[in-house]
Amino acid sequence: MPSVGTLAFDEFGRPVLILKGQDSKKRLFGIEAHKSHILAGKAVADTLKTSLGPRGMDKCMVSPDGDITITNDGATILSMMHVENEIGKLLVQLSKSQDDEIGDGTTGVVVLAGALLEQAEALLDKGIHPIRIADGYELAAKIALDHLEKISETYPLDLKKLDPLINTAMTTLGSKIVNRCQRQMAEIAVNAILNVADMERRDVNFELIKVQGKVGGRLEDTLLVKGVVVDKTFSHPQMPKQVQNAKIAILTCPFEPPKPKTKHKLDITTVEDYNKLREYEKEKFTEMIKSIKDSGANLVICQWGFDDEANHLLLSHELPAVRWVGGPEIELIAIATGGRIVPRFQELTAEKLGFAGRIRELDFGTTGDHMLCIEECKKSNTCTIFVRGGNKMVVEEAKRALHDALCVVRNLVRDNRIVYGGGACEIACAIEVAKEANKIPTIEQYAIRAFADALESVPLALAENSGFSPIKTVSDIKSQQIAQKNPRLGVDCLNKGINDMKSQSVIETLIGKRQQISLATQLVRMILKIDDIRLPGESED
Amino acid sequence: MKPMIVILKEGTDSSQGKSQVLSNISACQAVAEAIRTTLGPRGMDKLIVDKRGKATISNDGATILKLLEVVHPAARTLVDIAKSQDAEVGDGTTSVVLLAAEILKSTRTFIEDGMHPTIVIRAVRKATALVTEKIREISINIKKDDAKEQKLLLEKCAQTTLNSKLIARQREFFAKMVVDAVLMLDDLLPLNMIGIKKVTGGSLEESRLVAGVAFKKTFSYAGFEMQQKKYSNPKIALLNIELELKAERDNAELRLDNVAEYQKIVDAEWTILYDKLEKLHRAGVNVVLSKLPIGDVATQYFADREMFCAGRVQDDDLKRTQKACGGAIVTTVENLDEKSHQIFGTCDLFEEIQIGSERYNFFTGCPRAKTATMILRGGAEQFIDEVERSLHDAIMIVRRAVKNDAIVAGGGAIEMALSRTLREYSRTVAGKEQMIIAAYAKAFEIIPRQLCENAGFDATNILNKLRQKHAENNIWFGVDITREDVSDNYASAVWEPAIVKINAITAASEAACLILSIDETVKVPKSSSEISNAAKAMNMD
Repeated sequence: MPSVGTLAFDEFGRPVLILKGQDSKKRLFGIEAHKSHILAGKAVADTLKTSLGPRGMDKCMVSPDGDITITNDGATILSMMHVENEIGKLLVQLSKSQDDEIGDGTTGVVVLAGALLEQAEALLDKGIHPIRIADGYELAAKIALDHLEKISETYPLDLKKLDPLINTAMTTLGSKIVNRCQRQMAEIAVNAILNVADMERRDVNFELIKVQGKVGGRLEDTLLVKGVVVDKTFSHPQMPKQVQNAKIAILTCPFEPPKPKTKHKLDITTVEDYNKLREYEKEKFTEMIKSIKDSGANLVICQWGFDDEANHLLLSHELPAVRWVGGPEIELIAIATGGRIVPRFQELTAEKLGFAGRIRELDFGTTGDHMLCIEECKKSNTCTIFVRGGNKMVVEEAKRALHDALCVVRNLVRDNRIVYGGGACEIACAIEVAKEANKIPTIEQYAIRAFADALESVPLALAENSGFSPIKTVSDIKSQQIAQKNPRLGVDCLNKGINDMKSQSVIETLIGKRQQISLATQLVRMILKIDDIRLPGESED
Repeated sequence: MKPMIVILKEGTDSSQGKSQVLSNISACQAVAEAIRTTLGPRGMDKLIVDKRGKATISNDGATILKLLEVVHPAARTLVDIAKSQDAEVGDGTTSVVLLAAEILKSTRTFIEDGMHPTIVIRAVRKATALVTEKIREISINIKKDDAKEQKLLLEKCAQTTLNSKLIARQREFFAKMVVDAVLMLDDLLPLNMIGIKKVTGGSLEESRLVAGVAFKKTFSYAGFEMQQKKYSNPKIALLNIELELKAERDNAELRLDNVAEYQKIVDAEWTILYDKLEKLHRAGVNVVLSKLPIGDVATQYFADREMFCAGRVQDDDLKRTQKACGGAIVTTVENLDEKSHQIFGTCDLFEEIQIGSERYNFFTGCPRAKTATMILRGGAEQFIDEVERSLHDAIMIVRRAVKNDAIVAGGGAIEMALSRTLREYSRTVAGKEQMIIAAYAKAFEIIPRQLCENAGFDATNILNKLRQKHAENNIWFGVDITREDVSDNYASAVWEPAIVKINAITAASEAACLILSIDETVKVPKSSSEISNAAKAMNMD
């Protein structure tokens, strides 16, 4: 019987066209399809493998426009690789969704999925039905998750004792380029989160934390500003560079005579009219300045621009001003200073002003770049992390690293249960899963055992990246874990001589790990379930 | 010598006669072949990439056939019945195509032997009527009076549907969710009152059902962050008004001849907007939702007065909010005052919650909650898309089961029972029809056969066991996938609504009859669109 994708012939041997453009369509079917998926998945996972852990290496990505990105963040690498293969794309999304949800562990999740696929290949060769493999994986994932819960520890979330939080952030930062000033970065991340965290709802609004980067200086110069940093300067060079006890008028209206939105036309026929118009404009300007002065403001932040005339007027009335401040920044400033955004000069009143203890212009090196730093605000629940670094790549990578650290701390605020990193919890789960596997009476047993092997791929990669003999290291740890009944033993990546991750304080969040395992398993199920791929003709080569 | 008479346009492809019927049958079989392996709990998925590079991974027969772009006129009939099955009952799209192809296949020999198609058609019609009668007779009614029991039964039906999908492992979880959602609706069970929102990230188990409405944070202007994000018992205004500073009339032009007028017009524009805003404020509204944009001025105005607003809310979201919270969608704010309560909706709690990387607005505890929202989570976009399709099927099945309370056992049980009934009946018929009805009876066995084949079982062996069981009048015996055997599927709760089967069988038989009745296809060379030609060709019978 002819199958679709190949040509069908009728009684006279004439070809029958069943699908549109079927002769050019590409089709993979059955075991061949499975094999090609697994190959693609493995290839993607292998790229990331060397980025895992504190001794993981970075990747350098050059975009079509020649922009260079250097990173070891799994999600970033994959998204910039422009993976073409459909299965590869699924893995890219996998790491992206880990990034969206947890923010950390984006490399680990892909490595795990890759390992699961690799194991599945061997099982397929044995002749096990792909769906039974997937079923087995899900059973195993359940065992692993239950065990993970069992070995997790509740971490004291004490606002006075920040050390535990900082340790967790440090684990995340350990694998990044910024690990030179790991502790400082971790402290910044923890302070930033605690600054904006809503402890009652156990929620953190990320919009309140801004990460700003500026090339120049050293990584060590990175600082946390409890307030807002805006990449703008005062509108006139002669305005003071620093304002104490600033009362800020936050305006979203331009410094010009108001215009109606309706299309309009002003006919001027006489000189007299013309003069009137001039008068009117001038009058408007003074009126605006006056309304600001009357409200008691001594600083103006404006979303729009104003021309030189207005600028001069502001200067002569000793009103320092900042122009062209973007919408989100205006919002942040308003939240930080407790002011209200004012859309019209008429509505400007004293209550609507924001307050900041100090506003100053920061200078950078010899570049003549300036930034405005608004500090000591009335409500200090917004903050800006100001990242410095030797070049653009470092700054960008540091920003990404900080993002990961922020996410981890936020996750701890949400759920303060933790597990130990360094591959410790993976090995513990692998032991447990392998143990449970023998109790399963059906074919799924094989898949469960394979799952246990796949879990070990994370510590294996960690050990390999750290320059140890991977198999030996992992088997050592495994036997120790069983002998000492201690699920906290992991790979000693930093050569500290001990492999108890508790004393090394290598900590990861429980929800992060849970997410990794369940996401990877579910995605692998999806991949295993596909037995037929159809591609349009164009992408044949 | 006779002159040649040209009747048809040059290049017209016309084929006719017996061979045409046979070639159409082959084409249909080729289509069925494409989705054959998706049937049942061990069915596989297909990955289809369209010309624009969008990948779809699906197990749903209708979805796959739609994406295959079938052009063969006869084969398109099968695509159409799959679509109509999807629209009518939502599930069973694969079985309907398989069944139609199998009926054609089993009648093929009669056509080859020179039997007239109309005789075949008559016999098939007769058998179909018999079969639908039989289903009605043996189906079992759900007891509606006991709400708890009914719910349990509905969950079983939903689980049967989900069994073959990607989320088979989580079927209990999702079946409960689907049933809860459907039972929340009013008597008409409108499908569009169940909103499905997809957020990548998170694992499947984090999907949740909201008894009320949830939708994604809309685009917001500066000032939004300063609004309160949580209200209990809010007064909700649903608007269809643009709250933005804008030209009130398009294409209007104002001609001013004097400067003083200028300010007046500006003021007028502001007054129009402020009037609207003030009316809302004075009416005591807390949450303002609008289908049209809410501009920055309005956003800041609301922020100033402790109100929440969201502009550009999707139409269906707004309608669902209205259904849930009561109130009316108004197009003007004139005549609003504190007394006009019926215009405003309310609910127990309004809150903005972060899900993954998105923020969602939740309206929960609604007084007239005749609507529900499902928030689906998962690792990749295609993954969630497929989950949505699966849930759609399950929702449709549950809706059907609520409306028509008769159920039958799935897993090939009902098909075997029908096959047996027909076989017995055929023996009582004299004449040619006897053989055709017997062949039609055999066609039903394709469903259990395919279930076995997809699971890798010995189909002949299982079918023989089934035939034996059914001969002993065990009408609910079907394939047991987990034990690789046969079992009483009514007892093991593999249930499907009878209406699904009736619809599938009727549609399949009719499609088969239609294809058998075509004896000539005239294909006009490419002039207009191909599809209309195909449609013409199909209507030629």
